Amino acid sequence: MNKTRYWWATLFLIPPLSVYLAFVVFPLLSSFYYSLTDWNGFAVDYNFVGLKNFEKLFRDPLFSNAAGNTIIWTIAAIVIPTVAGLTLALAMYERGVFANFYKSLFYLPISLALAVIGQIWLWIYQPNWGLINTLLRGVGLDDLALAWLAKPQYALIGVIIAWAWQQTALSMVIFLAGLTAIPQELIEAAHIDGANYSQRVRRVIIPLLAPASVVVIALAVINSLKSFDVLYVMTRGGPFHSSDNLAMFMYNESFQKYNMGYGSAIAVVLFLITLAVIAVYFRQSANVERLYD
Amino acid sequence: MNTRKLLFVVPFALIILLLGSALVTAQQQDISIVHYYSSALGQETMSALFQSFEAANGEYKVVDNSAGHEDFKTQILVTIAGNNPPDLFSYWAGARTQFVVDADRLMPLTDFWNENNLDDIIPAGVKPAAVYNGEIYNIPMNVHVVGFFYNPKVMEAAGITEMPATWDEFIAMCDTLKTAGVAPIALGSLNRWPAQFWFDYMVSYTAGADYRQALMAGEAAYNDPEVMTAMETWKGLVDAGYFVPDANAYDWTDAADQVANGDAAMTLMGTFITGYWDGNGLVPGEDYDFFPFPVINPELPVVTHGTVDGWAVPASAANPDGAKALLLHMLTPESQAAWALGQGALAAVSNVDTSIYTPVMKKASDYLAQVQFLSGYDLSTTPPMAEGGLNMFAQFMNDPSGYATYLDETEAVAVDVFGK
Repeated sequence: MNKTRYWWATLFLIPPLSVYLAFVVFPLLSSFYYSLTDWNGFAVDYNFVGLKNFEKLFRDPLFSNAAGNTIIWTIAAIVIPTVAGLTLALAMYERGVFANFYKSLFYLPISLALAVIGQIWLWIYQPNWGLINTLLRGVGLDDLALAWLAKPQYALIGVIIAWAWQQTALSMVIFLAGLTAIPQELIEAAHIDGANYSQRVRRVIIPLLAPASVVVIALAVINSLKSFDVLYVMTRGGPFHSSDNLAMFMYNESFQKYNMGYGSAIAVVLFLITLAVIAVYFRQSANVERLYD
Repeated sequence: MNTRKLLFVVPFALIILLLGSALVTAQQQDISIVHYYSSALGQETMSALFQSFEAANGEYKVVDNSAGHEDFKTQILVTIAGNNPPDLFSYWAGARTQFVVDADRLMPLTDFWNENNLDDIIPAGVKPAAVYNGEIYNIPMNVHVVGFFYNPKVMEAAGITEMPATWDEFIAMCDTLKTAGVAPIALGSLNRWPAQFWFDYMVSYTAGADYRQALMAGEAAYNDPEVMTAMETWKGLVDAGYFVPDANAYDWTDAADQVANGDAAMTLMGTFITGYWDGNGLVPGEDYDFFPFPVINPELPVVTHGTVDGWAVPASAANPDGAKALLLHMLTPESQAAWALGQGALAAVSNVDTSIYTPVMKKASDYLAQVQFLSGYDLSTTPPMAEGGLNMFAQFMNDPSGYATYLDETEAVAVDVFGK
């Protein structure tokens, strides 16, 4: 690159870079800063407390509860959208005229905001007239018709299912794209060699879908870590923190309990976890690219 | 007029018009306002009050930036912290206002109070809700009383004609209702706060109002025998099957609907429930009625729990004069009467003609006049403590058997919050 071009490039980079600095880097650094204070969120004054907020985190049962729920959510995010998305993609791959119709149908949840998805699933779980309980009562299983989101043992899984409904659609699309990239000759060659459908899927298709799988899993994990909207609409972390994840716990501490300093410390921890996941993702995707280069 | 002239005259006229409207806008001052009176809580009436203010004060324009009731709590905090506050915002009198006062974020309104002789119209019983650290910071808009709101038709069908005044009578009534196949009590604790009224009355009526105030201030412990007794009394009602199951699955309006539909007989709620029911076409006195929480221990003082809603002006408000003009409009007898009828609130001022009250609100108003007023739980203790307590109530409604453990956990929060 010659010098003039270099300067021009720098000049054109200034606007996006300043937006990035103002809206990403600055708030990020502010969170780090406030995590070392006891700021309540709106007072003019606050004190520096060093690492006290972080010390408190590791003693706080609400933090371990939220961290545990985040782990459950992450595991569910690795399993549900991957398995369900792959199954749907395989079912719809090259299957005649209705395939496109079903593709659009299963893709539909992506076009909805997570807040809307939360509202739809609130109706599905509604204890008196919701879809699930109406079906259960319809087949005579009245005893199983519970107030799903009001029960601490079901609230979290209830929200995860709603979230996974959308995430599965995204996974399906990525897997479908991955499937079209697989050379047909490889599958046909396996067929001629006598491999049945299940063998072709396990031995040929799934290994060749490795790049797509990395993207699917990484996106699911990152989306699960930052999920807040669907939880906010459906349970707000309740009943009594049973469905709190780290993002919701951070929100409650910052905005409901007015512990902005403590909330910032949670934000920092959440940021570091997400950063670690993204680092693994980049490494993995680089490995996969090298594999296919 | 030929075309050329027209080409000249039309743009010229447009410029004059634009300049003129710009001048009018420049003269008009914006008063930005944020409040929590969304949908079921009187949004329509509040908007009408803004309109009547603008009609009477042409120089002002009210800019309403309100969010929903639950979202308000975050919205106001963020705008104040971001130094971009409204000129006026609705706020719950009590611990929440105290919290903002202590953060030096509110404008003292003592001069405004004195200049307008508000002592003449705001009753002495309501004034404490306005005073923080010796200054006025919250101008009361209305008072809400918490008591039992019931469906008279359901009661009549079960053969109940007299409402209970004592705890024994209350238990007998619940038994009769249950035998008649009606759930006696509806509670919608999805957003947790509706359950707090039970805790308030249980503590005040088994341990006394003084003890309850000490608990709110962090001077008593949640695992004291007094609170244990209060929770056991509450647990007795849940164990007897008097509550509609799964309280945590329903909002307060769902519980109100259960009573209105005859699925439950009564609900413990603030007078704002009357505004919700009136809006749904229910007739006060016929479709619903009121009785105060029955006395448990006759040796303890009779109290009422409730809410005083008021208005606060942020310390860095851009247009405090506009905010004060709007405040005066809110306190006129006409505005107060309109608000009382529209929201189902009891007026904060004494110069309102109480004959406008519905028979049900009249009962609540008469009761308020006789007893000591205490704010509800989340307005009596600091917000971080209230979070811990509200959680405990939801936990209790899910499974009351673990109440002793919940109280220990809540006391751990109290130790942290009050630095005990």
